[in-house]
Amino acid sequence: MAADSDPESEVFEITDFTTASEWERFISRVEEVLNDWKLIGSRVGKPLEKGEYTSGTWEESSQEISFADFKFSITHHYLKQESAENDGRDELEEDAYPLAMQDLLCINNDFPPRAHCLVRWFGVREFVVISPGANCEAIISESKCSLLLSSVSIALANTGCQVPLFVQIQQKHRKMFSGECQGPGVRSDFEMVHLRRVPSQYNHLSGLLDIFKNKIGCPLTPLPPINISIRFTYVLQDWQQCSWPQQPPDFDALLAGEVGGVEFGKLPFGACEDPISELHLAATWPSLTEGIVVDNDVYSDLDPLQAPHWSVRVRTAENPQCLLGEFLTEFFKICCRKETTEEILGRSTAEEEGKENSDITQALSKLTEPSTAVPIHKLSVSSMVHSARKRIRRHRRVPESPLNNDVLNSILLYLFPDAALDKADVSEVRPPQQSPDRQSEDYHLYNQLKSCPSDSLTHRLALCICMVNFHHGGVRAVAHLWQEFVLEMRYRWENNCLIYGLASGPPDLRCCLLHQKLQMLNCCIERKKARDDGKKSSSSDGARDRSRGAPEGAGPEGAGPAEAAGKSWDSWSDSEDEFFECVSDTEEMKEDKEEAENRSRSKPEGRLQPHGTHTLLNTQEPLYIPITQEPAPMTEDLLEEQSEVLAKLGTSAEGAHLRARMQSACLLSDMESFKAANPGCTLLDFVRWYSPRDYVEEQVTDADGRVEVRGELSARMKIPGNMWVEAWETARATPARRQKRLFDDTKEAEKVLHYLALQKPSELTRHLLPCVLHAALLKIKEEESAEDLPSVRSSLQQISSSASKILRHPNPEFKKLEDVISQLMAVEAVIARARSLKAKFGVCGGEREREEDGDELERFVSSLLEEPEVCVSGAGRGPAGNVIHKLFVSSQRAALLAPMEEETLRSGGSDDRKAFPDFPPPAGREILLRTCVPRPAPYSKALPQRLFCVLMRDEFRLAGAFSSDTSFF
Amino acid sequence: MDDDVLTTLKILIIGESGVGKSSLLLRFTDDTFDPELAATIGVDFKVKTIAIDGNRAKLAIWDTAGQERFRTLTPSYYRGAQGVILVYDVTKRDTFTKLENWLNELETYCTRNDLVKMLVGNKIDKDNREVDRNEGLKFARKHSMLFIEASAKTRDGVQCAFEELVEKILQTPGLWESSIQNHGVQLSDNEPQRQGACGGYC
Repeated sequence: MAADSDPESEVFEITDFTTASEWERFISRVEEVLNDWKLIGSRVGKPLEKGEYTSGTWEESSQEISFADFKFSITHHYLKQESAENDGRDELEEDAYPLAMQDLLCINNDFPPRAHCLVRWFGVREFVVISPGANCEAIISESKCSLLLSSVSIALANTGCQVPLFVQIQQKHRKMFSGECQGPGVRSDFEMVHLRRVPSQYNHLSGLLDIFKNKIGCPLTPLPPINISIRFTYVLQDWQQCSWPQQPPDFDALLAGEVGGVEFGKLPFGACEDPISELHLAATWPSLTEGIVVDNDVYSDLDPLQAPHWSVRVRTAENPQCLLGEFLTEFFKICCRKETTEEILGRSTAEEEGKENSDITQALSKLTEPSTAVPIHKLSVSSMVHSARKRIRRHRRVPESPLNNDVLNSILLYLFPDAALDKADVSEVRPPQQSPDRQSEDYHLYNQLKSCPSDSLTHRLALCICMVNFHHGGVRAVAHLWQEFVLEMRYRWENNCLIYGLASGPPDLRCCLLHQKLQMLNCCIERKKARDDGKKSSSSDGARDRSRGAPEGAGPEGAGPAEAAGKSWDSWSDSEDEFFECVSDTEEMKEDKEEAENRSRSKPEGRLQPHGTHTLLNTQEPLYIPITQEPAPMTEDLLEEQSEVLAKLGTSAEGAHLRARMQSACLLSDMESFKAANPGCTLLDFVRWYSPRDYVEEQVTDADGRVEVRGELSARMKIPGNMWVEAWETARATPARRQKRLFDDTKEAEKVLHYLALQKPSELTRHLLPCVLHAALLKIKEEESAEDLPSVRSSLQQISSSASKILRHPNPEFKKLEDVISQLMAVEAVIARARSLKAKFGVCGGEREREEDGDELERFVSSLLEEPEVCVSGAGRGPAGNVIHKLFVSSQRAALLAPMEEETLRSGGSDDRKAFPDFPPPAGREILLRTCVPRPAPYSKALPQRLFCVLMRDEFRLAGAFSSDTSFF
Repeated sequence: MDDDVLTTLKILIIGESGVGKSSLLLRFTDDTFDPELAATIGVDFKVKTIAIDGNRAKLAIWDTAGQERFRTLTPSYYRGAQGVILVYDVTKRDTFTKLENWLNELETYCTRNDLVKMLVGNKIDKDNREVDRNEGLKFARKHSMLFIEASAKTRDGVQCAFEELVEKILQTPGLWESSIQNHGVQLSDNEPQRQGACGGYC
């Protein structure tokens, strides 16, 4: 006896883990994860609200586990809810079955628009899924499935977890799951059937009810009522009644000349095809009782028009072809090219240019032969050059030219509307009448984008370049148009024709560089024009000067002016210099005196207006403000160059001195003008006008003891050798019109024309890209204002802001510019979708007299754009429902080619069966069956039972949750 | 030479003629005062490198002529400036009154609207003050400017003025960082559909 008891206790105390199998370790791992996620014990939660599965927030977390060398991922999904209020009470009810089982019967979240498939099929708010890991093969064999389910069952039992645990089996694309949920004394099994074809006996509600009843196996008589929810989905793809309204732009009319240049100013917009590809109508019958509805292979009560609930979703076409986006994309491609204009247009360009030069040379040589009056000269020059340009154009009409004559003329007329006036009266070209500046925010968008005003020539040029690129031969057309544009610029410079569509004044540095260049050219033309006009009037003054000079020059010195009588104005000026240089040595003193007298008595020139209060200090005559030269206008690149030059002088005193000297031309010019306007003036007089704070007044007591005010230069002006004094000593009394030009418009104009001529198409399009994006934004805003889409409006603001930052940069990255264009395309697609939906619903709604229906339809369309699925108020009898019904009827009529007599066949019920139905067969049918019955025995606890059925043409799926009492079996 | 310099900043000095713009600049760069500094013609330019909070910044400071006539020339150089100093003379009220005009000109010609502006009341060493400090403060507050009173002659406030301006510029990264990260535009508020979610029947 004693010997026997000792060995027994020794064996009993040893625990041998070396014999644990892989299966046991897998189960332990699952239990460990469930513990980590704190899923042990009963779950508490508030009752589900209507639609909470869609409006609420879903969370998930995931981990990896292994069964031997097979990897699984285990994922926890749950609807985020606030902590339940009745924690204590629920804890006390130990017999309550798990929360998941209660969810099986909840009717508040049937058919959620967007949810995990297990949520849709089983209606649970929390669950765990074990799926094969990535790159792992599917669980297909029956034994493996059973093994996994056994593991789940054991893990749930060991941990007391009441959250359903699913296992994904079969191929992933089939979405097959099995699972289990355990509670105290209760258990739910989740099973699934998935077939390719619908068995004929189960193609209707009656057959599915049979499956459900048999599966439940309830022995009670009569059977408790079964709650039925049904949802049929109908798909509409054929929009018969509302064909897509957008038509591609018709440029044939443009070529025919019916449409003038108006079309060039508009960017295209919209989708070429309907951006809405499908409309899905879901008709829902919630919470029916079994006896109320009949649906079998010979008869069905399920008419969608009678369904209590309708909801609609739209499916959009992926990447619809949008016109504006394509325009921008094609335009942007040129920015990346590298060819020059000559490389693109070929040798004919060089030949044509040679001929052009010879033509002009011939014209000019012809003009020099006859000696005629100046007006005839002017007119002849213009007409000859104009006809030369016409000949050039005719000559350029060769098959190689990308742009034919009609298109080219239309474009040039659009760019230069004043050209018509030009032909009528060449000598009197009126300056363009600037359209009034709008104070709207959109007008000043060009500041942000560094573009140009939307009513300017540069803006119109950008639109034309965009258009010819897309429709008239791509980059070759662009090069051709640009060549013509540059020729027109040169013509206007040579003929003093101001460029239409540019604001007067110096270049606007807030605009793109090309706009600045054109403004600069306009400045040159303006100066040249003013100078030529001024020359005519000053000629007569010069003549008077000569006649007045003759008497003084009588005698041996008189020969000088007499010789100059026959020369032009400029020659007269040279003659004056010669006159002074002829002074003989013997009479030097006499001449000096005469000169001094002449200067003191010389007539003042170039006066603008009296100063008003000041008088000259020495002579007490009124102080006159002179006519001064305007400073030289600058474009931003010239400014950049000049800044670099000034900066390179460094920070030494010598550098500062040189910098000041380089910039003193304007000061010197002003001093010369001042001297000419105020004979006998001093530097002090000039400073009183030019730099008033440098004129210092102080009180001085003279010998008689009286106090008087005397003015002096400020200390900084008295510094010996300072630049102001130096300039004053250098300045000669010369009115502004006779000074050396601060702004050499001839040279600057040639620079601009040279710059324009050298632009490659890619460089040109890069200059114009801000203008094109500007025009695109304006176009989208215009289109959006008709549709009223808040999301689009906010998107446009973001695009404007980001584009502004990109375009302000000297060298914007192409990638970022592409992003901006992509965003514009996306906005265009959204507007096109809105337009499509409004056409489908609004046009039909417009036929109605009631305004309320229109408002409701507007709200409905807005919801369709924003939400994944939209409820139709009034279902099939509401305003939106009526429109949808008509859409389906039209589609059915077109599909079946039914005759119009169908209307007469609607008289009786028996006739309805003969007529074609208003709706096509449902693309998908979903039937949800629920009941609460004791299982497996009559004396068991009544528990929820649920079956979700999906019937489609190529798919048949049953997802069942069946609960059993595990205490009394 | 300046390999460790964080960035180069462009700073403008503008204001009525004779208020001491060039003297302020000379005091800051060379720490000297010249009572007979010649009147500026056009623009002048000085460079100085300073250290702020461990960052070294190179300043390109553009001094401008305040005469009416030059105001048609000098605004061309406003472009690209990150900071601007507006100067008035506390002993001459009209130089303070004209500040509004200078601000309008600044708004017209500067292409960026987030540049840092500083108001400096100069010549506080003189006795005949006409503009009270509170008036300067009020003006600066109204126009969201930094404010300081200084004297180029006595060195008061000059170093502090430039350092404060630079510090403020460096605190505004959009002003001097060459590349700005562009955030994508969200066209809809809907979150992308989660994997495994079903749009409809399935």
